[in-house]
Amino acid sequence: MKDQDRKSYLASVTDRYVKGQISRRDFMASATKLGLGAGALGMGLTGRPMGGRAMAQEALTPNPEILAWLKDAAAPFKGTVLKLATEATPPSNALNSQLKKYFEEATGITVEIEILPLEQVLQKLTLDVASNLGTYDLYYIDQSWAASFSRDVFDPREQTADKPDLAMPNWNIDDFLPALVDGISRYEDRLVGVPYDIPVFIMIYRKDIYDKFNLTAPLTMNQLLENSKIITAEMGPEVYGTTGQMKSGHYSLECDWTAWLWGHGGSIFGADGQFTGNDAQGLEAMAYWDQLKATMPPGVDGWTWDGQGQSVAQGVAASMLSWGEFFPYFDDANETKVSGLCEVAVPPAANSLRTVGETGFGEIPGVGHQGGSSLAVSRYSKSPDAAWLFMQWATSADTQALITTLGGGTGPTRASVYDDPRVKANARVGAGTTRHLDVVRETIANHMGSEPDLPEWAQLSSDTIPVGLGKYFAGDYGSAKEALDDIAAQVGEVMKG
Amino acid sequence: MFQTRSQRLLRTIAGWLVVGAFFFPIYFWASVAFRSSKDIFNWPPKIFAFTPNLRNFEEVFGISLGTAPQTISPGGGNFYMAPRLLDSIIIATFSTILAISVATIAAYCLSRMPFRGRHHFVNWVLSTRMMPPVAVAIPMFFIFKQFTLLDTYTGVILIHGLMNLPLAVLLMKSFFDDIPSEIDESALIDGASRWTIFRRIVLPMAKGGIAASAVLCFIFSWTEFLFVLTLTQTGLKTVPVVSSTFVTSIGTAWGNMAALGFAAIIPAFLVVLLVQRHLVRGLTMGSLKQ
Repeated sequence: MKDQDRKSYLASVTDRYVKGQISRRDFMASATKLGLGAGALGMGLTGRPMGGRAMAQEALTPNPEILAWLKDAAAPFKGTVLKLATEATPPSNALNSQLKKYFEEATGITVEIEILPLEQVLQKLTLDVASNLGTYDLYYIDQSWAASFSRDVFDPREQTADKPDLAMPNWNIDDFLPALVDGISRYEDRLVGVPYDIPVFIMIYRKDIYDKFNLTAPLTMNQLLENSKIITAEMGPEVYGTTGQMKSGHYSLECDWTAWLWGHGGSIFGADGQFTGNDAQGLEAMAYWDQLKATMPPGVDGWTWDGQGQSVAQGVAASMLSWGEFFPYFDDANETKVSGLCEVAVPPAANSLRTVGETGFGEIPGVGHQGGSSLAVSRYSKSPDAAWLFMQWATSADTQALITTLGGGTGPTRASVYDDPRVKANARVGAGTTRHLDVVRETIANHMGSEPDLPEWAQLSSDTIPVGLGKYFAGDYGSAKEALDDIAAQVGEVMKG
Repeated sequence: MFQTRSQRLLRTIAGWLVVGAFFFPIYFWASVAFRSSKDIFNWPPKIFAFTPNLRNFEEVFGISLGTAPQTISPGGGNFYMAPRLLDSIIIATFSTILAISVATIAAYCLSRMPFRGRHHFVNWVLSTRMMPPVAVAIPMFFIFKQFTLLDTYTGVILIHGLMNLPLAVLLMKSFFDDIPSEIDESALIDGASRWTIFRRIVLPMAKGGIAASAVLCFIFSWTEFLFVLTLTQTGLKTVPVVSSTFVTSIGTAWGNMAALGFAAIIPAFLVVLLVQRHLVRGLTMGSLKQ
């Protein structure tokens, strides 16, 4: 039996067992036929009709053919130590805690992954680039930093062309979702690595509460507002209609702002490169946001995505337009009060949407705000070839499928991984579910919004804009127009340098 | 002073309230370490009525007691922090030894040996504490990289020792100043050398001061964040720096963070306990003028 067929069959058997369609005896018999040992059969599935990971651990190991190729290709680099500083995202966590050992065993290359909060990753990378010291071999590059680091990393297309003997068979750069390549990894004519992870805004809502009031997943901005008003009026202050990530001065506030701005036909920059968040559409978006905020819990302007996620997880909010990464966590019965109660939908349609040609710096308007990061090899690395091998392996379809299943249902950046049987098998209620990924894929393809790419964007998105917006919600400005005009002036100052 | 029964009662209640105000945050933080996420974020908050479990400790210390949904594999999880606690203990202990060893001798010299500009010298030592650490951290990164001290125990112990040295020198000097110099003079007349006086006479008398300084150096090193963040990578990390890694892209692992924080209180508490007898004496040294 081919490896792929074996995995598909195992996924199907496991899925049927988890759903209670076959007995443990039948499952064991099937698994034994596949050559799984006793350890695989005691994988903790008993007595867990909903939670837990559905896949047998033996199925969740890297493709042996790829490992064999790596062993040969990495022979000259045995003993090398690679370093990567990254945010604690699901892919990084899965690689660090569960998967990198396979790469290390196959290649003899040691991979040290330093997991840090996002702002500390930026500090480390900035220091590394400024010093040209090459203390890190691989860079985790948030999409908002792509322009800043574009000249400090190798373009993966160049690496593939320059080192054909190190090009992993079937790595297939074209498999990365084109929208993500454009939104996360492309800056001007260069690829700043390849898409590594993709948190994207999707609509998450409490199906039980929506059903109670005969509501449906919002298809439009107005429907979201109306739904939220009804729930807050009927269930507040115990439960609010929706929630947000509106902490003053934090990047999360800028993320929320862009969703409403883009959804009302606005954009951050115009085609002439001037800030346009304060135009008529920008003001319309702020008026909408003000109304929506009235349906949110009182503490919302002190929350980042952390507090926002908790407000849904603890049953305080009935919906959120936010990062899809949260959904597998919501399904975890051990951690939240809403396991199995939430459903997903694509973001509400925009009232109107600007075209890319009407915006500046490659900004792509869309209600599904896209975050995400790239993985790239540093130009200052002392071992760029070994790092390139690791990068290919870490972003290969096989490894991404493992990351998605082991890393808690995070959204893959490759098209093929969404259809991987191991990923499909986890599409059930429970921790690490992948049952939201069809919506994630649909959002990436048709509803995704992407921030502009310019060297000043890291400062604008994490300081200038969210500080101004935070001051507005704190009542420091007389009106939304006054606030946005002030932000426009400050953005202009930053752009002038 | 005579107090009525109601005054005594009021005083006791006030005392308990003050103690409660200081103790409650520690209790709540410790209790978070024993809670599941559902209990941590419950609204209204559960102060006492929660189901305690050890899952957070299992994940942080890589031990499996059978309470976690999945088996905990030692060293396998992202929240496995036991080695980081050990890093903290090594760094805080040796940087304290370094700072106190140098500071004791320096402070004795400044206290007992007059030389031109001694007063300015003391001010100069103090002024090194006035520079914001962030101004030093980046240059230090380049220096450490040059001397291959990045990501090493030696490097972090050195920087913490240097960081604590001025404070330790000034503290120790004030303790030595409180020991009458006539004792030194008598010993000198009896033929003792400076080193003998320092080692046999002054040092034992300043034990309380040394203990107080050592505790402060230990705590400053134990809680220092910026230098460790800048000068380390994957080789070692201290508790304050790894605590920030519980902040993930899908929220903060408060339970794990509290488990590590709670465990991290214990070594510092033990150090204070060990030197408590000397500490009380050291902190009150010089409070009575003769």
